[in-house]
Amino acid sequence: MGQDDQQQGPAEPAQVEAAEPGALPEALAALGRASFVAHREVQAVLPAVVAARGEAFALEWVGAARRLFDFDRDAGRAFVRGTPDAMAAGPEGRWIAQALRFVDVPGSWKSIDGFMGNLPSALATLGPIGAARWADIGLAWCGRHADSGAAYFAIPVRELAGRQGVAGIEQVCTPAEELFAHRRLSLGNFLPGALRVRTLLGAGAIGPWARRGIDLLTADRFRGEAYFRLESDESLRLLLDELPGFRPKDHERFLKMLLTAWYGQPCEIGESGWSPDRGRAFVETDGRSLLMPVALPDREHAVLGTLHVAGHLAFGTYAVAPLRRLFAQFGLEGAVAEALAISWEPLIAFHGEDAERFRLLFDLCEDLRIDHAIGCIAPTHLSRLLRLAALSGPAEGPARAWCDYAMATLRLAQGRTHGLDDAQARLLARLLEPDATVADAHAVACALLPLCALPAVYTAEDAQAAYLPGRSPNLGHEVKAAEGPGSRSERSEEQGDSQSSEGEGDPDEEGESVEQETGAQEAEADESAAAAHAQSASARKGAGEMRSGERSPQAPGKGQGPDRGIPYPEWDYRENRYKADWAWVAEKVLAESNPLEAQRLADRHAGTLKRLKKAIQAQKPTRPAPLTRQMDGDDLDLEATVRYVTERAAGRSPEPRVYKRRAIRNRDVAVTLLADLSTSIMQTVADGSGRLVDTVRAGVLLFAESMEEVGDPYSIAGFCSKYRDNVNYYRIKDFDQPFNESVRSTVGGLSGRLATRMGAAIRHAVHRFEGVQTPRRLLLLLSDGRPEDYDDGGDRRYLHEDTRMAVKEAVNAGVHPFCITVDTLANQYLPQIFGRGHYLVLDQIGSLPAKLPEIYLRLRR
Amino acid sequence: MNQPDRQPAAANGAGEGTHDIVPPARPTPEAPYYEPQGREVEIFEAAYRRRLPVMLKGPTGCGKTRFLEHMAWRLDRPLVTVSCHEDLTSSDLVGRFLLEGSETVWQDGPLTRAVKAGAICYLDEIVEARTDSTVIIHPLTDHRRRLPLEKTGREVAAHPDFLLVISYNPGYQTVLKDLKPSTKQRFVALNFDFPAEETERRILVNEVPGLEADAAARLVAVARKARALKDHGLDEVTSTRALVYAASMIVAGLPPVEACQVALINPMTDDLELAAALLEIVRAHFE
Repeated sequence: MGQDDQQQGPAEPAQVEAAEPGALPEALAALGRASFVAHREVQAVLPAVVAARGEAFALEWVGAARRLFDFDRDAGRAFVRGTPDAMAAGPEGRWIAQALRFVDVPGSWKSIDGFMGNLPSALATLGPIGAARWADIGLAWCGRHADSGAAYFAIPVRELAGRQGVAGIEQVCTPAEELFAHRRLSLGNFLPGALRVRTLLGAGAIGPWARRGIDLLTADRFRGEAYFRLESDESLRLLLDELPGFRPKDHERFLKMLLTAWYGQPCEIGESGWSPDRGRAFVETDGRSLLMPVALPDREHAVLGTLHVAGHLAFGTYAVAPLRRLFAQFGLEGAVAEALAISWEPLIAFHGEDAERFRLLFDLCEDLRIDHAIGCIAPTHLSRLLRLAALSGPAEGPARAWCDYAMATLRLAQGRTHGLDDAQARLLARLLEPDATVADAHAVACALLPLCALPAVYTAEDAQAAYLPGRSPNLGHEVKAAEGPGSRSERSEEQGDSQSSEGEGDPDEEGESVEQETGAQEAEADESAAAAHAQSASARKGAGEMRSGERSPQAPGKGQGPDRGIPYPEWDYRENRYKADWAWVAEKVLAESNPLEAQRLADRHAGTLKRLKKAIQAQKPTRPAPLTRQMDGDDLDLEATVRYVTERAAGRSPEPRVYKRRAIRNRDVAVTLLADLSTSIMQTVADGSGRLVDTVRAGVLLFAESMEEVGDPYSIAGFCSKYRDNVNYYRIKDFDQPFNESVRSTVGGLSGRLATRMGAAIRHAVHRFEGVQTPRRLLLLLSDGRPEDYDDGGDRRYLHEDTRMAVKEAVNAGVHPFCITVDTLANQYLPQIFGRGHYLVLDQIGSLPAKLPEIYLRLRR
Repeated sequence: MNQPDRQPAAANGAGEGTHDIVPPARPTPEAPYYEPQGREVEIFEAAYRRRLPVMLKGPTGCGKTRFLEHMAWRLDRPLVTVSCHEDLTSSDLVGRFLLEGSETVWQDGPLTRAVKAGAICYLDEIVEARTDSTVIIHPLTDHRRRLPLEKTGREVAAHPDFLLVISYNPGYQTVLKDLKPSTKQRFVALNFDFPAEETERRILVNEVPGLEADAAARLVAVARKARALKDHGLDEVTSTRALVYAASMIVAGLPPVEACQVALINPMTDDLELAAALLEIVRAHFE
C-alpha cells in the first residue's frame, strides 16, 4: 500500500502539468474533421482522462487515438474503450507507447482489443516491467503471424502466466516459436492446449507433449492441429498417461485379486472418464462395476477406495429391496427397479435448504455402515482409513468439520473414544448392526441432521473435500439398482420362492421403525416429494434415452470394440516408456481369393514342392534313440557293462558309464507365418521375376504345403496398418484349421495395402499363440521392408525401437521371432531389431518359395 | 576318481551309512498329532481291514502325510514313504542290479522292501512319476497282491499286512499330468481339503506351542482370503503347513506381517502383483 502511494506521489504532479493552452481542443477538432466516429468515441472518454491525468497526458492520448484510428478503425475504438480500465490499473503511462507500436505491425489491429482488455490485469499481476515484456512477446507474435498475436492477447494474462509471472509466459511461448518456425503451427492452435497441459501436469510436460505433436503435424496437418487443440483422443490420452499417482488401469489384476479375496469374486473394473480438471479423483460405481479414474493419489487410496466402493456393491447400497422400502416411505415405490438408474434427488430435495448438508450426511452414514461391514471381513480397514485421513492432512474450509466428523464416526465403529455426544452415538450405533441397510442409513441421517452442527457446504470443491480419502460420493456416477445385497452369488437363491417371500416380510417392519423416526416431517413432505417424484421420473426417462443412444463418452473406444480390435502398448524410445493401449489391432478376414492363381502357382512350383517334401520325409523325427553309456539311467547298457567289467577285471579303473536311457528330446514346434501385406509388395521386382506379391503368394503356399508334410501345428496370417488405431491382422489359416481349398484361394489372392506397423502385429501374433501347447513356438516374419507407418512422423527409429521391444516381449513370452526379408538394405536395421542370427536377408527374391520351408526346417532342428 | 559319482546310485538302494528304508512301527511313543476333518480315520481303518489300496486326494500341505503317519501309528505298521518325482523310474521303486566288485547284485527298491515287510507304502504325489512306474503297481493293487520283479524274472507275494497308499493332487501343475483311469479305479479315495476354520485354528495352536489364540485366528482368516486367489496365478494356495510355518515365525519373535511375508507370500509366488495382493490380505489382518 505504502509503496503504491510513494509511486503515485511524484508521478501524479508530473503528468498533471498543464499542456499548451488550446492544444487539446485543436487536436480534438482535427480528429473530428478526419473521422466522425473517432471524434465521437474520444469525446466520450476524454473528460475522464483529463480529470485523472491532466491535459498534457490527454493531449498525448488523443494523438495516439488518432494514429490508431488512422491505422484501423476497430483498433482505435478498442484503444479508446479500453482506456478507462487501463487508467484505473495504475499511473503507468507507457501503455500508450506500447499501443502505438501496433501501428507498425501490419495486420495487428486484431490484437489491440485483447491488449487493451488484458492490460489492467497485466499491470496488476506482472507489474509495469512484466506488462511491458508481456506486450513485447505479443508484439513479436503479431509480427510473425497476425492471428497468433490476436490469440495471444485474447488469453487472460493470469492464465498465461500461470502464477509464475513473465517466466510462465515465456515457458509456454518459447516452444511455440519453434513450432511456428518449423511447422507453421499458429499460437491459436497451440496456446489453449499448452496451457491446459501446464495446469494438469506442470510446465515440464509441455515439451514432450509438443514434440509428439510435431510428428503428428508432419504426418497429417489436420490430425496434428486437432492434437494441439487437445481435441483428439490421442492427445487427451497422452496427457492422462502422464498423470502422476497410482494408475488403477496398470494394476487391474491386483485390484481384481483383492476383490476376489474380500468379496469372493471380482467385479468388472472400468474407467470413469475422470480428468483432473473435474476435481478430486474418486473410485465410483455404476451399480455393477467399479469405475476407476485414470490415476489416484497413491496405492493406499486405491486399495481402500476399491474395497470401499466394492463394499457398497457387496453390502447392498444399491440393492433394490431396501431402496424400494426407503422410497416407499415417500410414496415412490415405482422409483426403484432393477437395472433402473437410481435418483436420490427426491429424498434429498425433501430437506429443502438443508439438502446439500443432508446429501453429505446421508453418504457419511451409509459409508460408515459399509466401512464397518468391510471392517468385519478386513479387520484393519477402519484403522487404515483413519491413518490415511491423518496422513492426507486436514481438509480446508467447511470440509474439515465433515472429515473430522467422519473420523469420529469411524472411531465410534472401532469402539474407541470418539467425542460424539450420546444422542448421536446412539443413532450411529444402529448402522453398526449387522442387519442395517441403506434405509437405516437414510433414517439415521434424517435424525442426525438437526443434531449435528456440521457446516453448510456451497462449492463443489468443498463438497468433494468433505469425503474422507478412500470414500467417494455414493451417487457420483449414474448408478443402476442391483438385485440384492451379497452380490451375484446369491442370485439363484434369491430367485427361490421361500427366499423372496421372506425378503418381502422384512421390509414392512423396517419401514415402520423408520417411519417413526421421520414421522413428523412426513406430512409436510408429501407435496414436495410428489413434485420431486415427477421431476425424477422425467429425469430418468431422459437418462434412459441418452443411454440407448451413446455409450462412448465414459469408455472411449469400448463402444466400437469389435471394430477397433485389441489395444496393445507401444514403446516410445524418446520417452523410454510404453504408451498404454496405443496400437489397435483388429482381426479381419481377407475378402479376396483367387483359386486359379493358387493353382497356377502350385503347378509352377510343383518341382520345388516335390523336392521339399522328400527332404522333409528324410528329416522327419523318428523315435528317439536310446542314449547309451550314461552315468545313470533306467537300464544297464549291456555292452557298456561288459566292457566295464572286463576293464575292471583287467585291473583298470574305467568310468562307470553303464546305463542307458531313452532320450526325451521334444521337438514339438508350433509356427506362425506372419506376412507383411503392405503396399510395397505390389511393386515389380527389379530382377524381372514379376511382382513381389507373386513370390510372396508362392512362398506362403509352399510353406503351407511343406508344413502339411512336416505335421507341426502352424498358422498363417498377414498384417498391414494405417495409423496406430488401425492395424489390420488377417487370419489366413489358424492352428486348428485345415489347409483346404479356401485357404489356398485366399493365399492366391493375397495383395498389398497400407503400411507396416510391425510391432503391433508381432504382439498380436504372440497373443494368438495362446492356447498352443508346444514347448517351442516360432514366429516367422515375412517382410519386404522396414517397419513404417503413416503417423510415425518420419522418425524411422520410433517404429524400429517399438518392433525391437515387441521382439523382446515375444521372446519373454516364449515365442521366438525370426524375420525373413527380401529388402536388400535390411542389414542396416534388422540386426538391431531382431538380433544377429534371428533374421535372414534373401537377395534373390525368386528363391523365396523354395527357401521359406527350408529355413523353417533348419530352424526347428 | 569317479567313486563319488557312484554313491548316489548306490544310495538309492541301501548303501553303507543309510538308514533302513523300512522303519520300525510306531517310531514315537505317542501317535503323531492329527485333527480329523471328517470320518477319514474310520474309513481308512475299514479299507485297511479289507487291505484295499487307498488314494489320498487333496492340495499340498493340507495334512495328507500327517494323516498317514497317524494312521500307520494307530495300525501299528511301519510306514515307507517314497516322494515321487518326474525322473522316478520303476527301477527306483522296485529295485535294480548294482555292480559290486565284478558281479551284479540285485538290490530291492523301497516298494519291494515294503511289500516284503508288510509295511504301509506311501507313494507321495504319484502323478509326478512317469507312467511306466505307475503301471507296475497295478498287480499289487488288485486281488493278486503281487509285485513282479521283471528284471529278475521273479514275483514277490505281498505280506498280508502290506498296504499301498498313494497321494494325488488333482489339478496340480498342468492338465497333462494325470493318473491313468485304469490306475485311479484301483483305489479307495479319500478327499482332503484344508480344514475348517475352527479345526485349522486348533491345529495351529497345537502345532506351535506358545501361539496366541488371537494370532491363530488372524492367520486362519488370512489363509481363507488367500485361498480365494487360487485361480489368479497361485499354483498352490496357502496351506495349513505354511500357516504353521508362519505361526512358528511369529512365536520366534518376528512381527506378524513379516512372518506372513516370509512364510506365506515369498515362497508361494514370484508374481509381483500377486504378492502385493497377498500382502494386502495380510495387512488387513495384522497391523
